[in-house]
Amino acid sequence: MQTSYPGRTHSSLTQLSKSARNQSVSKLALRSTVGVVLFLSTVPIIYLFIRAGQKPFGQSIDLLFREKTLRVLGTTAILVLAVVALTLLIGVTLASALHFIKLPFPSILIIPTVLPLAIPSYVFTYTWIAFVPSFSGIFAAIFILTLSTVPYVILATLAGLRSVDESQIEVARSLGLTNTEIFFRVVLPQIKGHVSAGVLLTALYTLSDFGAVSLLNVESLTVTIQNLYRASYDRGAAAVIALVLIAFSTIVVIVDDRVKNRAKVGEAVKVQTSKQVLIESNRTRFFTLFVLINLFTLSIVIPFYVLITRFLDNRVTIKWPDLLSASLSTLLVAAIGAVIALVLAAPLGILLSGRSDKFTRFAQRIITVGHGLPGVVVGLALVSIGSKLGVIYQTIFFLGFAYALLFLAKLVASINASLARVPSGVKDVATSLGANPWAVIKKVVAPIAAPGISLGTILVFLTAMKELPVTLMLRPTGFETLATEIWSSAAINRFNEAAPYALILVLIAALPTFLLSRPDKADRMFVNESMGSEK
Amino acid sequence: MNRKHRIGLALGAAVISISTLTGCSSSSEQAKEVTEITVYSGRAEEFIAPFFAEWEAKSGIKLNIRFGDSAELAAQILEEGKNSPADLFLSQDAGSLGAVSGEGLLTKLSSDIASEIPAKYVAANRTWVGVTGRARVFAYAPDRVKTLPLSVADLTKPVYKGQVGIAPTNSSFQAFVAALVENKGQEFTKSWLKGLQDNGVKIYPMNSAIVEAIDKGEISLGLVNHYYIWEVSEALGRNLNVTNGFFVAGDLGNLINVSGAGVLVSSKKQSAAEELINFLTSAATQSEFVEKTHEYSLLEGVKQPEGLPALQEIGAPTVDLDSLKNILITQNILVEVGLL
Repeated sequence: MQTSYPGRTHSSLTQLSKSARNQSVSKLALRSTVGVVLFLSTVPIIYLFIRAGQKPFGQSIDLLFREKTLRVLGTTAILVLAVVALTLLIGVTLASALHFIKLPFPSILIIPTVLPLAIPSYVFTYTWIAFVPSFSGIFAAIFILTLSTVPYVILATLAGLRSVDESQIEVARSLGLTNTEIFFRVVLPQIKGHVSAGVLLTALYTLSDFGAVSLLNVESLTVTIQNLYRASYDRGAAAVIALVLIAFSTIVVIVDDRVKNRAKVGEAVKVQTSKQVLIESNRTRFFTLFVLINLFTLSIVIPFYVLITRFLDNRVTIKWPDLLSASLSTLLVAAIGAVIALVLAAPLGILLSGRSDKFTRFAQRIITVGHGLPGVVVGLALVSIGSKLGVIYQTIFFLGFAYALLFLAKLVASINASLARVPSGVKDVATSLGANPWAVIKKVVAPIAAPGISLGTILVFLTAMKELPVTLMLRPTGFETLATEIWSSAAINRFNEAAPYALILVLIAALPTFLLSRPDKADRMFVNESMGSEK
Repeated sequence: MNRKHRIGLALGAAVISISTLTGCSSSSEQAKEVTEITVYSGRAEEFIAPFFAEWEAKSGIKLNIRFGDSAELAAQILEEGKNSPADLFLSQDAGSLGAVSGEGLLTKLSSDIASEIPAKYVAANRTWVGVTGRARVFAYAPDRVKTLPLSVADLTKPVYKGQVGIAPTNSSFQAFVAALVENKGQEFTKSWLKGLQDNGVKIYPMNSAIVEAIDKGEISLGLVNHYYIWEVSEALGRNLNVTNGFFVAGDLGNLINVSGAGVLVSSKKQSAAEELINFLTSAATQSEFVEKTHEYSLLEGVKQPEGLPALQEIGAPTVDLDSLKNILITQNILVEVGLL
């Protein structure tokens, strides 16, 4: 059952030794590159400190401790905790069910659980408000944000489950443990790290979301920040509150760190779930299908129903050329963002694959903390710097760069998760056989990390397609994406006119989402490919 | 292997399209004659684009238009400072213009620009001019509001408990509060806002949401601009159970705010941008505004929106629109009472 390590790595490693001096030089180069990336990703935070510093200290203190700040902080905490708890419950249960229960067409059943990623939270919220006119308030926000972020937890949990050592499950079963006991005592400890990574993305998404909370009249920190920016042209106050948000996301990152440190790292790379561990029980099967159908209805059928009826109600002739060019623009700039993110994340990913030291862990945490910032903050920081750069400002490259900074943490998280699956033993063996770090990366780490990297890149691509506030600020003048077109109709209440753009956006975004739902296939492809040399 | 090929293809396609995109965007700087100018427009594309197209055809100058929210565009211009690529800033409200002007980022307009616009709708230092007028009104459901308020001060009375809607993040609401601060003082404004909160005022993200909420019966009355009834009605494709009402003459609730335009001090194409302002404030364009966007024309003698009193007959308070740029105090008050 266990898949052995590709044989070809062994044979090639011995030829690949280089001098120790070269190693340290390349390591230094790598570290300085990571330093640069780290600096770039802290730009928004530095900007916030500068802006906040321009506000008289006393005023900042008053702002921090006014009753309203505390109230908003409370609302935000409730929102984050509730969404985390619900996504954890739903996400882990569903992912485990999809993994362990024998279901018809399992790979098709995964798709609807991941598909909500294709729907921007503002579109999701609009459709629900249209469907239930009184839809508003914190429960509505928890509902929307849970449905929008549960795919992160499902994807992460599924990735974790694929690396669970099944021999332990079989042993536990032979000892007479029930499935529930096995889950909590054998499976959960092994997937904790993965689950935590998914929950981290969920928590940071909830912290930084503006679309859903503002439409539902829930005053979270992002809404306060936006209100302060929009209204007070003194940007210091907004910066002070944004730093509160940074503190909040720092706590989230620290919690995630703690969970990960206590998690056991799965040492075995599993590819397929063996028949023996699958649960065959009609009750669990029906329950799983029931939950799946409900989730599908709430997060896919209803939004689509509303978008399609709005689309049919739209009496204004659709401007097809606009629709086409907005679609192409969206794809182009999101692709540029994903590529830049990949380039920026690569050096850190390589460092993370080695022995993690303080510097790498610090870099990773800082990048992740910044992920909790709302788009408007990152956008204005980049406007401030970008406008001084002349020709590059308001080009598709600069917008792509902004996307990369905004979503870098997603890529870093998935690279990190997939690297956790590289057993350190294999790296050690390779190193002791005389392979230099580059060779270890190229021959051992990269192939195993590849699926995670490609999934992370797809995730950046997907989120960039839906991004609005930064796009509004940094797109080239006159360059419209699907998101900005939706905004310009929605801003004047022409929801029917926004519907075609929203439909196209969701449909286009659904394509990379399918890829996300099939990581198992990507894994299998890799294994078949690399095992070819053995056969 | 297959996957690698596909990624390679995608990359190649991206590179090609990138190079074609950049190739065509940087060739116009050499020509001395102005061939294009950049506009940051806080006015929605839907309503303003036809006017821009008309001017492009007339002048032969291409407009690069960046649509956005007025306040957010103002924040963007403030961040860009002297490096702003914008030549002209067209804003929904005087406040955003005032904020940009306050940082010295708008230039003084030539005296022959928009000279017909009455002085009260122009910045004292002539850094921006009003283009169209927007009257603050109370929109209400005629069948549900039995006693009409005479003044904004009435809205804190028990009759209107839980029935009033406001949009504190909206810039025209803030302009109105700024006028209140300017004319009645900070203490009065604070206690009025607190009175509204105690009276169960409902908060909405925008004016149109208030009008919709009145129509749906969520509330009976809301503080908005006069044209939102048309806007929402056109968006929904039906008539609404909502009417515009004015307070007694001179009440600050009848404030007339303007959408306006200013030319960036950093612009190298200022005279072309000024020409665009002249076009927008010409009598012909002004009549079109009244007809298409239901706004007030600031020019005397131009026909005003149907069913509404003429601008001079509204009983608008005498407020120096320039003073509304001092939005910071207003902001702080709104923040202090917890509405922002």
